[in-house]
Amino acid sequence: MNVISCYKIVPDEQDIVVLQDRNLSLERAEWKIGQYDLNAVEVGMQIVEAVGGKVSALSVGDKQLENSKLKKGILSRGPEELFLVVDERLGNADAYLTAKALKAGIDKIGSFDLVLCGEGSGDLYSQQVGIQLGELLNVPTLNAVSKITPAGDKLVVERTLENEIEVLEVMLPAVISVTTDINQPRIPSMKNILAAGKKTVTQWGLSDLGTEGIQKPTEILSTLAPEQVDRKQIIFEGDSEEVVQKLFENIQKELL
Amino acid sequence: MSKIKKVWVIAEKESALAQLCAGGRQLGEEVAAVVLGTKEETGKAITMGADTVYWLGEFKPENRMEDYVKTVLELLKQERPDLLMVQPTKRGKLIAGRLAASMGTSVLVDAAKIKIDEKVQVTHLVYGGAAFRTEQSLTETTIVTVGAGVYTALPEDTSRQGNVISVDYLEPSNKVKLLEKKTKPSATVNLGAAKRVVGVGRGIANQEDIKIAEELAEQIGAEVGCSRPIAEGVNWLPTERYIGVSGAILKPEVYLAVGISGQVQHLVGVNQAKVIIAVNKDKAAPIFKHADYGIVGDLYKVLPLLIEKFKANK
Ligand SMILES: Cc1cc2nc3c(=O)[nH]c(=O)nc-3n(C[C@H](O)[C@H](O)[C@H](O)COP(=O)(O)OP(=O)(O)OC[C@H]3O[C@@H](n4cnc5c(N)ncnc54)[C@H](O)[C@@H]3O)c2cc1C
Ligand SMILES: Nc1ncnc2c1ncn2[C@@H]1O[C@H](COP(=O)(O)O)[C@@H](O)[C@H]1O
Repeated sequence: MNVISCYKIVPDEQDIVVLQDRNLSLERAEWKIGQYDLNAVEVGMQIVEAVGGKVSALSVGDKQLENSKLKKGILSRGPEELFLVVDERLGNADAYLTAKALKAGIDKIGSFDLVLCGEGSGDLYSQQVGIQLGELLNVPTLNAVSKITPAGDKLVVERTLENEIEVLEVMLPAVISVTTDINQPRIPSMKNILAAGKKTVTQWGLSDLGTEGIQKPTEILSTLAPEQVDRKQIIFEGDSEEVVQKLFENIQKELL
Repeated sequence: MSKIKKVWVIAEKESALAQLCAGGRQLGEEVAAVVLGTKEETGKAITMGADTVYWLGEFKPENRMEDYVKTVLELLKQERPDLLMVQPTKRGKLIAGRLAASMGTSVLVDAAKIKIDEKVQVTHLVYGGAAFRTEQSLTETTIVTVGAGVYTALPEDTSRQGNVISVDYLEPSNKVKLLEKKTKPSATVNLGAAKRVVGVGRGIANQEDIKIAEELAEQIGAEVGCSRPIAEGVNWLPTERYIGVSGAILKPEVYLAVGISGQVQHLVGVNQAKVIIAVNKDKAAPIFKHADYGIVGDLYKVLPLLIEKFKANK
């Protein structure tokens, strides 16, 4: 099976600085692979380990994607090959623009049987890109998939909804967005990390894909940190009886 | 606030439909509900605030709501409402996303606030809850998902009159075949209603030890919630109990965090609590910066002592 797993790189939220005017600064942020996208890579690996085939990784974004540590990071999880679409405009893309760029990349790659996406990206978590991509590629698409069993030219999948689990048969090719509890992503070994450096990375710009004209259909008006509630920050150290007594008295006071 | 003209709503649950209809009435001049269900349910939509019901027909067990995307899409293209509001269930997200892709836009997800200022401006959380972002769609129709609690349902008004328009079903081109439906035991917890909540995190070493937190919760009349990894990861508590940007957003009077580090994705679910209390053995845990009271100590020592003290104080 020819599998493409999509991942996004995101700024580490612990490095986000809130400025005085409540705007955010990402300047000092380290970038990382979206935590829940690793599940999509792992699903791909387990499928090809079971039925044969190949997993490629695909991401679209701005220059941050060129970070070699992150490229190695994703390839060390197993994919044979990496494809990147890099353009400044893809840095702050919405789900539609991202899906358009992913589609352009996939069209350029050529053929696929299965595209996998994670449950949601680490920064926007809109849970939309996989769905949009499926629709744009005009193939069946599902979200919330918690189990995948390949069955020839089809998949049998379980989809976990709020109050029920659907068992569905999906014709390939398809785009599937998986849940975070579908698997436990593997931890790359030293050997995996060394091997990752030797794998092929192909990078395109939007103009290489003939899609330089694509536009973002939404507009950001503002991004502001919520107003913080002032906290008393009365912190006791230690877990002896006397210290716990002090905490207890304070809790008691608040519970009244 | 100025108003837009046409608002459409789609929801799986009646309570959500009622809230979206109420929201529609605030934002727009006309509200239309897209309903897949019985004739009675179309009438219900009108009493809850819809002026028009686009009736997709009765639900057939062999079908899924998603099979109606093509039907709804054609209708959307014809009628061009200014706003489509969808309930963010898993199905709702899939339906909204597929419609948006075909309409050439993105869904503005999980609206915390919707404002009309010529265009529809939607505010929602980004960066795990570190910020509120306000966005607008540049296309004619804006598509949003709106969760529970953003709008309050109007009292049902049985004297309301409305139009029910039957819509013909269009066979989808990419149909997925339903093999089986299994019921999922769903927990009935309403964390949102709890005045006091004890939240447990990965500081708890075993599933069994959740009992200690439950016992403390019982002593102070609190519900038990948790961080996401406890519900999705080790699966020690049901999904319905996890708190945070992708789980429940609460506003309790007291939140007591036990063995929770205090990442932004979690904190955004409780930072409107009146009082936050933290128990964590790591002095540098971010939770302490957001706590009113805290104790740097081992929860396995602190909790039993606290429980004892509450018991003795009864
Ligand atoms: C897109 C996205 C969405 C997310 N949404 C959510 C969400 O909605 N809700 C959520 O909770 N998380 C969410 N997360 C995950 C979040 O980033 C954190 O990983 C998670 O909240 C951490 O959970 P925790 O505090 O229980 O575990 P940890 O971060 O592992 O913290 C455990 C804490 O326990 C303390 N501890 C250990 N042993 C003891 C002991 N014996 N006594 C006292 N303290 C002890 C440690 O010092 C540590 O601080 C999301 C992540 C992403 C990427
Ligand atoms: N820029 C991107 N490049 C590749 N894949 C992406 C990108 N953005 C999102 N995805 C994929 O789509 C999923 C859902 O993202 P989102 O809709 O942003 O929550 C993620 O888990 C990724 O698998």
